[in-house]
Amino acid sequence: MKKVLATLLAAALVLSCVGCGKSGSAKSGEKISLDMWCIATESDSNRPAYEKAIADVTAAHPEIEFTWETFENQAYKTKIKAAVAADEMPDIFFTWSCAFLGDFVAANRVYCLDDALAKWKNELPEVMLGNTTYDGKHYGVPTTMNIVGMFANMDILASVGYTEVPGTYDEFIECCDKLVAAGIIPFGCAGKETWCVTEYLEPIIEKSIGADALNDIFLGKATWNNPDVAEAVDKFQAMVTKGYFDPEGIALSNDEVKANFIAGKYAFYMNGTWNCADFANDPDGFGAKVKVSEFPVINSGAAKLGQLIGGPSDTLAVAASSPHAAEAADFAFELGRLICHYGYLDGNGLPAWTPYGDTSGINDLTKAVSDICANADSYVLFGDTAQSADDANTYLSYVEKVYGCEIDGAGFIEGLANDIR
Amino acid sequence: MNKKVINNINIIAFLLPAMILFIGVLIAPILLSGYYSLFDWNGFGAKTFIGFSNYVELFTSDAIGFIKALCNSLLLAGLSVFVQLPFSLGLALVLGRSIRGERGFLSVFFMPVLISTVVIGQLWLKIYNPSYGILNVFLTRIGLESWTRIWLGTKETALGACFVPTLWQYVGYHMLLMYAGVKSVSPDLREAAKIDGATNGQVNRYIVIPCIKPIIKVSVIFAITGSLKSFDLIYVLTNGGPLHATEVPSTLMIDMLFLRNRYGMGSTIAVMLIVLCFAFALLINKLFKEEA
Repeated sequence: MKKVLATLLAAALVLSCVGCGKSGSAKSGEKISLDMWCIATESDSNRPAYEKAIADVTAAHPEIEFTWETFENQAYKTKIKAAVAADEMPDIFFTWSCAFLGDFVAANRVYCLDDALAKWKNELPEVMLGNTTYDGKHYGVPTTMNIVGMFANMDILASVGYTEVPGTYDEFIECCDKLVAAGIIPFGCAGKETWCVTEYLEPIIEKSIGADALNDIFLGKATWNNPDVAEAVDKFQAMVTKGYFDPEGIALSNDEVKANFIAGKYAFYMNGTWNCADFANDPDGFGAKVKVSEFPVINSGAAKLGQLIGGPSDTLAVAASSPHAAEAADFAFELGRLICHYGYLDGNGLPAWTPYGDTSGINDLTKAVSDICANADSYVLFGDTAQSADDANTYLSYVEKVYGCEIDGAGFIEGLANDIR
Repeated sequence: MNKKVINNINIIAFLLPAMILFIGVLIAPILLSGYYSLFDWNGFGAKTFIGFSNYVELFTSDAIGFIKALCNSLLLAGLSVFVQLPFSLGLALVLGRSIRGERGFLSVFFMPVLISTVVIGQLWLKIYNPSYGILNVFLTRIGLESWTRIWLGTKETALGACFVPTLWQYVGYHMLLMYAGVKSVSPDLREAAKIDGATNGQVNRYIVIPCIKPIIKVSVIFAITGSLKSFDLIYVLTNGGPLHATEVPSTLMIDMLFLRNRYGMGSTIAVMLIVLCFAFALLINKLFKEEA
């Protein structure tokens, strides 16, 4: 009797385990569940684009039960890495391209999207896939692309006699000197978030040594020990010491600096073009005062206009561990395409996908960015995205030291050449 | 089976759940951290065994800056022991004398302990704000404009500016511990001393403080280990900046683990923190024993 009872109990246990297990690929007609993590929080300017895109895709796919969760940018970086380490990722997840996604791909945690991509190849230019391609395989769905833009408050520039943003480096420096003489702070930069300092430093280095040289350094193909880089860094530091930057900025966050720029405290603000929507939609009409341009060329022998910092970085990827990875891949492409579409219409950066529909309502700032990109010669991805996490943070640490005038250009190149692993 | 064996089995059976919990949440993570500290590992890829290289790098690399972070923590520990604790003791001794409004004062001094550290961080961020912060506004109003600073943004002032709220927040905590001790001192002892002509100061020095020595020891251990583990308030106020001036081992550990993907090095810092906390706790115990 005891043996019968034990056998029955064991059988029940095995059956219940089978019942609790994850199902494999969905049978036809069966509803499947997909979940997604991203950073489109309530305060994120891309939130409406995500909401509209999700509404469209879920309406088109009633067979998919879709849930999504959002997290604040910095917290998300920690969360997604922990999830990858534990192999407990959601089916679809937001990620940054290049080295950030590359680490996950190297750990075999990301689903290869080559099969799903075939359907969308005509709408997604190959050039936009470079940052999410590893060993010739595609692992990410780019949504938007952004560059570093130099936003100028034209009302402030007019007060020192400029009706246009100075086009050459010498004119630009002259303009900054006039601003300082008039008691106006030329630049606002959030020292508390070092990536904001790179938004100034990287264009200055790029416009001094050229896009290819900087790209090679970021990708580890060339050494940091380059005297031209040191010279460019010294030029940036001279701007700091000449009082071009708000001294209070070192203790401020990017949100605070941006608010100061909107409030008219600074003449220029160099940051990502994702800010276009916020400036254009400012209720007090700030958008009408702002113009966006690229940083002028410093050394025309090596660099030229059209060499930009930026590129497609915001990406959706699919977890290799997803029980419905193939369905999630298709879903991610549809979603990415629509996020890109709605994000572009809202003015949150430029489209990584070929635009469609009526785009005449796009704000003037985004249109101006679009014009800059239409004449682009080459792109160098943001330094903290292009390099591996450890190298990027070593790099940011040295950028912070330059901004704080702890080291000069020579110290910067020497330190990075020694400390980059 | 004799009774002794059955008793032993019972003891083991009753201890087992607690032991499993203790090993699972304390011993195992420490051992795992020690294990991971011997690897070069990004947290999700392949691990490379590198022996004690992480420890060597931790103490020799200027780029990591562990020694500086440790010095910052030890400075905080010193301030905690020599400024915060005497202040807390003073408050406890005064309140322990059953003064008027004793309960009200207790609540007021203990309130910062109850408030979330993030809220306190935000509060002090506003106080230190260079443009509208109450500190700079106050200095300007009383004619000391030259004293105004970018308190959290200048290397020279950021560390001190972080320490002030850190010490302030836990004054009430240590005060409450010591206050409980002061209150437990027999009134008979106080009365006897008073009859012998002792002043309030002498009563405190020769009767109350020796009686609450075990509590002072606990406070010193909490203050020093708490300083070594300090993280939350510094993370909110400066996140280790500017230029790593306010870096402490815990912020460095977070940087290694989650920003640089160096789980091996992060685990090494975790192990060093555990070792230092245990070492200081043992040292303090020994010092107090020798004094006794």
